[in-house]
Formats: sequence, C-alpha cells, structure tokens
Amino acid sequence: MAEKEVPLTAVKVDALVVMKIIKHSSQSFPTTATGSIVGMDVDGTLEITNSFPFPVVEMPADSHFDNAAPNPAAAAPRAKANVAYQAEMIRMLREVNVDANNVGWYTSANMGNFVNMNVIENQFFYQKEMNERTVALVHDVSRSAQGSLSLRAFRLSSKFMTAFKENKFTSEELQKSSLRHQDIFVELPVEIHNSHLITTFIHQLQCPSQSTPTDLPPSLAALEKSSFVKDSVLAPNFDNLSLSIDPFLEKNCDLLLDSIETHHTETNNFQYYQRSLAREQAKITAWQAKRKAENASRAALKQPLLPEDEYQRLFKLPQEPSRLETMLNTRQVEQYSRQIDSFVSATTGKMFAVKGNLLPGETAK
Amino acid sequence: MAETDSFLHLARPLGPMAVGSAPTTAPLNVVIHPQALFSILDHSLRRNADQERVIGTLLGTRSEDGTEVEIRTTFAVGHTETTDQVEVDMEYQKQMLALHLKANPKEVLVGWYATSSELNTFSALIQNFYSGQGDGTFPHPAVHLTVSTEPGKDVETRAYISAPVGVTAERAADSAAFIPVPYEIRYGETEKSGLESIAAARDVESRAANIFTDIEALERAVEEVLGMIDRVSKYVESVIDEEAPASTALGQFLLNALALAPKVEPADIERDFNNHIQDVLVVSYLANTIRTQMELSNRLATAQLTLGGESGNAESGQRGGQRGGKGGRGGQQRTQDRSGEEARA
Repeated sequence: MAEKEVPLTAVKVDALVVMKIIKHSSQSFPTTATGSIVGMDVDGTLEITNSFPFPVVEMPADSHFDNAAPNPAAAAPRAKANVAYQAEMIRMLREVNVDANNVGWYTSANMGNFVNMNVIENQFFYQKEMNERTVALVHDVSRSAQGSLSLRAFRLSSKFMTAFKENKFTSEELQKSSLRHQDIFVELPVEIHNSHLITTFIHQLQCPSQSTPTDLPPSLAALEKSSFVKDSVLAPNFDNLSLSIDPFLEKNCDLLLDSIETHHTETNNFQYYQRSLAREQAKITAWQAKRKAENASRAALKQPLLPEDEYQRLFKLPQEPSRLETMLNTRQVEQYSRQIDSFVSATTGKMFAVKGNLLPGETAK
Repeated sequence: MAETDSFLHLARPLGPMAVGSAPTTAPLNVVIHPQALFSILDHSLRRNADQERVIGTLLGTRSEDGTEVEIRTTFAVGHTETTDQVEVDMEYQKQMLALHLKANPKEVLVGWYATSSELNTFSALIQNFYSGQGDGTFPHPAVHLTVSTEPGKDVETRAYISAPVGVTAERAADSAAFIPVPYEIRYGETEKSGLESIAAARDVESRAANIFTDIEALERAVEEVLGMIDRVSKYVESVIDEEAPASTALGQFLLNALALAPKVEPADIERDFNNHIQDVLVVSYLANTIRTQMELSNRLATAQLTLGGESGNAESGQRGGQRGGKGGRGGQQRTQDRSGEEARA
C-alpha cells in the first residue's frame, strides 16, 4: 500500500464482482446481504477484483419483514466472527494470486433505503479499524430489477469521521463544524472493468458463431422455436420500456412516509429535551435566586457565605439528543427524492411516447 | 459457445454405486451461472506464469432427482503439475470448502473445473478424487467443466461426467471415461441488468464502462428498438421489391407482432394518460417538498445562533434552540399535511 496519500477518486469494479454481488443480493432478497470486497488501490483508483459473502448469523425465521428488528446480516461486517472469517478468507485467496487486500464491503439495498446507522457504523468501522481507504458498495436490487444496474460506491467524509469518532452531534457542535447531511457520504464514480478473457467471452455470448446465412424458417412454429427468438443476452434490457409505474411510486411513497415518521419522532425527542432543559434551567435560576437571597441575609447577619456554584452538583442538565439520526434521515429523504426525480424523468418520456404512438396526430405539433 | 455440440443421451454412464441402491441412468443436465464462468476466467488470468492450466472446485445445487446440476460458485485450488506427477492442495480445498459452506450453506460440492480443454491422466486422477467417497460428490457423479482460455481463440466450455474404467484397483485410480454432457448458461432477471452493463464495455478499448443512469438506459433501449424496427422494415421493403425471398412464416410472425398493438378509444388514452402523468408528477413534487421541508427544519434546529445573535452564552443558545425546535415542528406539520395529500393521491 503506497503511503503517498492520493485521495481515492474512482472505483473500478471487475465484472466478476458485479455478478457475484448481484447473485448474493438477489438470493437473499429482501433481507440485506453483506460481504467483503478485495482488490488493489492504484493511484487513487480502487480496483475491486473479487468479493465473497459474509456468513449470515443464525436468524429467527420470523423476522423477515420487520426492518426494526436488528438485522444480523446488516451488522455482519463489523461482527467479531466475521473479521476472523474475512482474515481467513483473504489469506486463502492470497494463495491463489488474488489481489488480497481488504478494500471494503458491500451491501444490498431495496429502493435506495441504505442510509441508516448500520451502514454508517460498518463503514466507520472499516475506515477506522481496517484501512482508511475502503469503500462501501451498495447494490440496489429493486432498482436493478427495473432495468438498469444500480451499483454505487460510498465513503464517509473525513469531516463526518471526526464527528462520529467523538460523537459530536449536538446542535452546538454541528454549528461549529457546519456539518450538513450532504457531507455524510462521499460518492465515488463506479466503473465496470472487464478482463480480456471476459471481453472475449461476452463477444462470443452475443453472437453465436454463424458461418452460413440462415435458411428462411419453414413455418411459424419453427420460427418461434429457433434460437433467434430467444432474447439475446446482452441487448439493452427492455424492461426499461415497461410502463408499470404504480408499484414503484407506491413503494417510494411508503418509504417517504416512513421517513416522515422518523423525522417526527426525532423532532419530538428534541422538543422533549428542550422542555426538560427549560424546566431544569428554571429550577436552577430559582435555586440561584434563593441562594442569593440567603447569602444576602447571611451577609447582613455577618455569617459566612454559602457557595453559589453548588447547583452544578444538585441539578443535572438533560443530555441533548444526538442529531445524527435526523441528519441521516434527511440524507435518506434526499436519496429518495433524487431517485424519484430520475424515475419521473424517464417515465414522463415514456408516457408521452406511448401517447404519441396511440394517438397519432395529437402530439404532432 | 464456440461450437455447440448436439447430444443424444442413450444412458448416462454408471458411476460407483452404493450397494443396494438402484443405479440411475437418467440424463444429466448442467446449468452454469455466469458468475461461475466469470470467476473461472478470472482465476485463469491469475495463474502462475509457468502454469498451463489451473483447477478449482465447483459449488452449486443439485435437483432432487439428480438430473440437473446448477453451478453457482467456484473457487480456485492451487495445484502443481509436472510431466509425471500432479499435486493438488487438498488441505486448501477442504478449508476453502468449509469457509464457503459457512456463507452459503445451501450449496454443495458438485465437481471441479480446469482451464484447458485437454483431458489427460491427471484429469482422471483429480476426477476420481472429486467423485470419490468421503470428501467427494459420491453417490452423485462429479461434474468436470473445462473452459479453454487460449489467447486468440474462442472460450470453449465443455461439461463431463465420468465412469470408472480399469481392470485393477491401481489402474482404476488413474483412469476414467469422461462422457460429455449438455450444459446451458442461465441467468436470472436481476443478473440481466448486470450483464448488460458489463457488455457495454465490450467494444471499448479500455474495457471499462460507467454505469448508466435511468435515462441513459432508456435511451439505449429505445435506440435498440428503433434499430430493430429499421431492420425489419428494410427486410419487408426488399421483399416487396422482390429482392429478398419471401417467407410466409416470417410474414405471419410479423403480423402477429403488429396485432399486439392495443386498440383503445382515444378518450380512454387521454384520460389514463392524464391520470398517470399527474400521479407521477405529484409524487415527484411531494418528494421534493418533503425534502425541502426536512432540510429547512434541520437548518432551523441547528443554525439558530446566526439568527439569535452571536452572543454565545447559554441563555441565548437556549432561546435560539427553542426557536429552532419550533421551526422544526412547523416544518413537520406541513410535511404531515403533505403526506395526507399523498395518501389521497
């Protein structure tokens, strides 16, 4: 690992890793799947060349749809047993010439709902304990199923790292550091990279070798059975053109509502804190006034004065709730709304196309 | 693949059988997942300079009646080969298998692969090890997959199972009759989009591609469809001009495809279109409003000092805090209203 600190600027993912992550994520969908990625850091570009899943810690079967329940798979990257597993696996991989440096971990997500404490803590753990130059790859299963692959790479910003290390998430600290929800993650551009062999292989997959011009099919049945009707592997995914928008919108609205609820809870917490703080402050002021009066009368009677700062012992100010959860929630909502925006832009295009197609003349000027 | 062999299965070879169980002769079909092939190719790239071929273990699932084997995962196993000796790192294979089974408890050992099309005595030796009792796939036959990775040639994949041959025990140990079996490459819905992105890099010299955004993917798909329509209309035109031979089957097929266009009343289209576009836009609007509201509420909650004057003492911070809290609540209520609307929408 070169010590010259070139900041990480891009992530290059091998085709193999893409496929492995997709397989693992879709196998365990809708539960979160996590695993480790290995690779090499070449002048600020993180090349990810292999990956392996983390073993899932035994989980009771009933916790399928309950996101609130602690999800062992989501916490897996920082579990003790998995650190050992990972070290062991990397040692094994090194023997067969794989670039065996731990460069981060991956997780699966559903509709972009990956901004949560688990991800933050995992990535924090990786950036702090393992290696500063690590990334979290997020593969969004539901969005990928809709047509275009969604694979993104994130790191925690150094600003957030320092704040998280010292757990400085009170309003005062946030004012000082001017840390905003946009500053939590740094997204790195992801590029897919193929080896020569895979390039060859893909070319082969695409065009089954054909030396003679094909004969015309003798009948409809023969045509329907021939290999040409089966969709080719690598053509653009025509699921993109599907017009079913309602499930997507519905799911997104659900997620947004959840976020609003979280936000509400957090605001309530904060207000509760404000009220109790005000109450304590009032008590302290009362106590101070009383002590002052007492001291005044004592001074009049030439008695020794009582200390005036005793209140610090007597009253305990409530702890300010951490603003972290709110920040994450805001970041999450931002994520959702971006997602909706990009979906809407594609969908409106498709809808106008369909309308123009079915009602020729109406939209033509 | 390079050549697709056609298969006629009379009966599959009989493997070593447990005493008492009836030998099964059902044909065997091998299904390969793309990521397994990818990792074989990757391993082949990472072989030592002096190594002709590399081998590894295939993991996957076996259907209940044993007629279909799915190869899902592979891992590399180190081995050394000289002219008269082969050494496979069995310890490594065992440990790696244990590690893999921890993460994928559903997958079982199904066979092994080698990255050359050649079958020799060593192949037989290794095959006998993988199909043997104890650590092997016994009583099921072990699948041997060869993936040729010679530069400049097509990647050629073949699948085999084996039957024991040999008259004496020593001879049987290092010989096997390899029987080719049919295989297919299968990928799921979710893998499709992944493969698509990977394929996007196939014609680029740097062999790298960025991930598409939604709208780019849509553009590509539309372009592809337009290209296909062009091709078909060109063909149809040349048939009309009597340049190309006509085919009733093709004509029928095209007609069927055209008949798929729905016939709907313009008024219905207009109505559905308006409803849907409104839905979409409303959700987009709401999402962005919610985002703004939340951000505003957060800003108010944390940035009160600039509003309340930079006095910095506890009292003013306190007051400012309360104001921030209120701001947060205001924002909250508004977003709640929005969510109500949204539920109605």
